[in-house]
Amino acid sequence: MIQVGLAAPRRAVGLTGLVLGAAFIRALLLPLGDILSTLVFGGCLLAIAWVERTAPTLPSPNVSNARLAPKRRSSGATGPASGGLESPSRVGILGSLVAGLLVGAVLLVPLTTGSLGARGLDGFWTWAALAALIATLEEIAIRGALYRRWSAEAGPVAAIVVGAVVFALIHLPRYGLGAMPLDAAVGLALGGLRAFTGRVAPCAVAHTIADWGAWFWA
Amino acid sequence: MTRTRRAGVVAIALGLAAAALLHGRFSAPPVYDGIVVPPEPYRWESPPPNLRAGNKPPLSGEATLPVLNGRVAGGGVQTDDNQVVIYFGPGTFKAPAGTQTVKCTIAPDPNPPPAPSGVDIRGNVYRIGCVAQPGGAPVTLASTYHLTLRFPPGAFKEIQVNDGSSWRALTTLRSPGGDPYASVNAPGFAEYAATAPTGAAAPSDSTFSILGRYAEFYGILAFVIIFGVIAIVQEVRRRNRRAPAPTNKRRR
Repeated sequence: MIQVGLAAPRRAVGLTGLVLGAAFIRALLLPLGDILSTLVFGGCLLAIAWVERTAPTLPSPNVSNARLAPKRRSSGATGPASGGLESPSRVGILGSLVAGLLVGAVLLVPLTTGSLGARGLDGFWTWAALAALIATLEEIAIRGALYRRWSAEAGPVAAIVVGAVVFALIHLPRYGLGAMPLDAAVGLALGGLRAFTGRVAPCAVAHTIADWGAWFWA
Repeated sequence: MTRTRRAGVVAIALGLAAAALLHGRFSAPPVYDGIVVPPEPYRWESPPPNLRAGNKPPLSGEATLPVLNGRVAGGGVQTDDNQVVIYFGPGTFKAPAGTQTVKCTIAPDPNPPPAPSGVDIRGNVYRIGCVAQPGGAPVTLASTYHLTLRFPPGAFKEIQVNDGSSWRALTTLRSPGGDPYASVNAPGFAEYAATAPTGAAAPSDSTFSILGRYAEFYGILAFVIIFGVIAIVQEVRRRNRRAPAPTNKRRR
């Protein structure tokens, strides 16, 4: 167990590098336009998640495939070596969505203390669809593939923390250093939501709600 | 509660608390996607008749800049609707002795001076001023400061300044990419406005720019639809593959 816990999480590090690489490509493409760079970034995240879903997850012989993890959860996680038990018991779909909605609503609260913007609904739906798509892809990549990998190789706490750091780093080119603490805090909450519910969907819901608020209150 | 869930609850609590605390401290956009939120409609002090409905009044802005060793280190002020942003470099001000802070304000002028002949004022006229505190004594400028002004859709040529006597055109730099912002090196505390020659038409769109706009719009929709459908199909196929799997047997 200790050996597994101390083993270098090489695949997790590699995957982290891929996600950060996607953000780097996006930063390089920013001069060519926000839409193009965002779409390329989204495509990269989708490709990463796609490849990762078929990759074996666990180095530990006692758990050989993360996909089986939710079905082998009766004993619960006991340490890093059992990190493959990504969620000892998943919250039901309805409960997960409620949790996602609640976290999204709490993320909105600080926004709503500001003045309401003058934007109408013209153009909102296209923007909202793009924001939801990118938010979902980010969550699939970070709270999905990356979380699963880090959770399997180093435990859920590491998965949450690394996810928060990566979340802050991928937004660095757009928002600068000043926004990093805020993005890291939001990433922490979303990682916690992933660990608590065992699902990615509530993270995507919370993330999307927080994004949409910017249209009305930014 | 399992260890993973406990960690999750702690992370949610810490993250939400930190986000709430940090939100007001950083002027960071609250979008966590890196997607630019399009600017909200221009806020008019005196809107044209066709834009009166739905118009929101422009907002003012103020900031208090500390004076250290008789010198303002520099800083920025912006209106709360981001229609005007000014930035002072170090040593821009000459403050009277005993000044502890300099208070700068930007406010839309509801009764602006009339535009010079042959020129239309485009959008609002803003009054910019700074005073020393305590006392409210005037502050003089040692150099220019940077002013960025948003202008409404339509014709635009340059930013002009009115120091109380007349309007004067300033060398103006427009933001690239068609953004409705322009900036100048502002020479003093006065009134500033975006202007255009009387009767000037809005720059016409070329065929390519119109095509580009449509391609961008429909490109986004196509991307959303294609990848959405692919994701759904893949998820359904994955679940179908898993469904007939043998019953869950524990590995030993």
